[in-house]
Amino acid sequence: MNAIASAVVGAIHPQPAEQVDWAGKTYLVVDDFIGVRQLLREALRSLGARNIDQASSGGEAMALLGRTRYDVVLCDFNLGEGKNGQQVLEEARMRNLLLPSSVFLMVSAEKSVESVMGAAEHQPDAYLVKPITEGVLLTRLNRVWRKKQVFSLIDQAYAEKDYLRAARLCDEQIAANKAHEIDLLRMKARLMERSGEPARARETYERVLAQREYQWARAGLAKIRMADGDYEQARQMFQTVIAENRYYIDAYDQLALAWQKMGKHEEALSILERAAKLSPNSVPRQRSLGQACLRLGNVGMAEKAFRKCIQIGEYSIRKTPDAYLGLARVCGLKNDPKEALQLLIAAQREFGAEHPDIELRAKITEGLVYHESGDYRRARKAGDELEALLAATPERPDVRTCLEMATLLFAVGVKEAPVDLLCYVIRNNHDNTLLQDEVQAIFDKARMGEEGEKLIRGARKEAIDLMNQGVLLWKTGKLPEAVEWMRNARAALPHNVRILFNSAQILISHMQQRGYSVLLHDEAHGVLAHVDRLQPGQQRFAQLMEQLLALVPKEEPPAVAEPVPAPETSAA
Amino acid sequence: MEDPHSPLSLFLASTAHDMKNSISVLSGTLERLLVDASPETEKAYPQMAQMLYQTRRLNDNLMQLLALYKQVGTADYPLDVQPLEVGQLAEQVVALGRVLLESRGIRLELDVDPELVWHFDEDLIVGVVSHAINNAVHYTRERILLVAREREGWLEIRVEDDGAGYPAALLEAGNAALDGQAFGVNFLTNSAGLGLHFAREVARMHRHRDRRGAVRLENGGRLGGGCFILHLP
Repeated sequence: MNAIASAVVGAIHPQPAEQVDWAGKTYLVVDDFIGVRQLLREALRSLGARNIDQASSGGEAMALLGRTRYDVVLCDFNLGEGKNGQQVLEEARMRNLLLPSSVFLMVSAEKSVESVMGAAEHQPDAYLVKPITEGVLLTRLNRVWRKKQVFSLIDQAYAEKDYLRAARLCDEQIAANKAHEIDLLRMKARLMERSGEPARARETYERVLAQREYQWARAGLAKIRMADGDYEQARQMFQTVIAENRYYIDAYDQLALAWQKMGKHEEALSILERAAKLSPNSVPRQRSLGQACLRLGNVGMAEKAFRKCIQIGEYSIRKTPDAYLGLARVCGLKNDPKEALQLLIAAQREFGAEHPDIELRAKITEGLVYHESGDYRRARKAGDELEALLAATPERPDVRTCLEMATLLFAVGVKEAPVDLLCYVIRNNHDNTLLQDEVQAIFDKARMGEEGEKLIRGARKEAIDLMNQGVLLWKTGKLPEAVEWMRNARAALPHNVRILFNSAQILISHMQQRGYSVLLHDEAHGVLAHVDRLQPGQQRFAQLMEQLLALVPKEEPPAVAEPVPAPETSAA
Repeated sequence: MEDPHSPLSLFLASTAHDMKNSISVLSGTLERLLVDASPETEKAYPQMAQMLYQTRRLNDNLMQLLALYKQVGTADYPLDVQPLEVGQLAEQVVALGRVLLESRGIRLELDVDPELVWHFDEDLIVGVVSHAINNAVHYTRERILLVAREREGWLEIRVEDDGAGYPAALLEAGNAALDGQAFGVNFLTNSAGLGLHFAREVARMHRHRDRRGAVRLENGGRLGGGCFILHLP
């Protein structure tokens, strides 16, 4: 009988050329139940596998993953005390303990809700439901392998941030792979979003929906609506998505955002609350719930969310100082500055190594706590200490933190430091009118309305002059001077997206006209990677990245470079 | 739905997890023993084959109960529809049933369009089809046929056997229940009731435009015995 059944199976996939050598791979089996480990080991041995390591807990798995780059990891979701399977996966990915070719299979006793939530950043290659037999294991391993082959060049281009090339590769694969068409289209739509090409993303989502009503595609269309400012339409679409698939968690976040954009903060909060109920063990979710509650002054709910966030973060690499800082604020509002200070000390102890700005942020929170609990003397002292911290380094945190800090400093009576901070923010965002209004409001509140207006105008002009001078040098053919000028402009305004883009463009233009240089290439690449972190999804990013990577000399004769458009200038 | 974080739910979830582990180990061990043995060398071979069959029934029942507890058939169930080649579906069903079928001396024949891509919840459909095959193991004489092809815009999956076919009463009660009419009390208490109810709910959850999946029982087919038929839009 043996022969017949396997002959029949073989007939389904008569592609011996694609056979993978599973015997030569290295394996890690993670399960807290010894019987299951043995069973899986036997199943792997029957595939010929010889190198099989085992771990009985998440901690043990992490130790082994730190030592060996496994080809295949089979990990149970429920691992008893300590890290669960999802936390093992997240930590392994974030610490780069898995190769791009590694296969991670998540095993569970029953269909997990996580597998349909869709938005999880760190998805395993497949979810397997017990019982797992050799045959099923082999089928799924082969399938994951084939999918990795289909996606390998696309993933590589994606990792290099060459989104437009990645999207073209998707098109090529779609033509050849009917079975992966939907996944490829999903990838392509994401690439188009990342490249600032919403029209082409929309087209791709519509192509999916013409085949099947996939909720992620519907949500993709809604997101594009929202980006167009059509919040009410987007809200309705997200609600339809949730009605169709109540576990599609990304739609909740987007729906909350739509409510927020329409100024309906209570509604946004109740949506975030529902999402946190569905996915109670997600650290980022509890954090954003806590922060939203805090903004709305719902202290009780903020406290619950931040405490939960700290608790579930215990074994997770995604644990965050935000929960400690947020909870400290809550304690301040509840007039318990003592616990607040303990939390701030704990945050600095736990996160000092990985978050260089934690000292600054803890000090801001300390000032806010004292200020909110009415201890103005200590609040002022924190303000002075903050000013000293700022004087010690030219580095500035992100815009939100800067604004928070300026507000606090004004409130406790410090004058110069917050003015400098606000001008810094404006210089780095000279074309963001919404932000200018926000900054003006902070000046107004500090009774510096008129002076603030002048300061904002001055800061904007400074940035514009800096940018236009660089473009002028470039236009008059003084390329090395233009490059050098933009280098200085970048140093002065490290967060100004338009200056960064222009700087990259002038570097590329220099190479196109005067020849490729590894140094200039690396410089431009660094600048672009920095912009993409600051403001992802910019069309100019994708275009410049593609031009830059096309300059890299290849084995084959290089393609003819397309003429570059001029860097943008700006009227003062 | 029951609060998924209540003590009862947590006990149910962790106990189910435990039972699944035990059944996994049981059926895995039995499969290994059967693969290494043959009826000629192993006196207890038929009993071992019977044990594997019963273990599979236990597993199927547990899976179906868990799915019902998770409200299969309603919007509360985390349905996971993905595109999949029908060949991949068949490959897994065959892999799950291989040792059991061999141990009972039953031949599984396939008539499958392997490259046809369809959209469905893989775990649920593999569960339904493989349960239908396990059932057929009990009623067939020596052959089971698995058909999976597109027909008039639907994916039609048929599990046919060469046994005596379904008794008239079961056909009538079963199809009435499958049409969505009330279950007869006798049918509910019948062990086949859970499996059919599960299959119907799974089928109905699969929707495309205005169409819903469905399940039907028949006698006849190419092998002249019972036929379990699943249609997916």
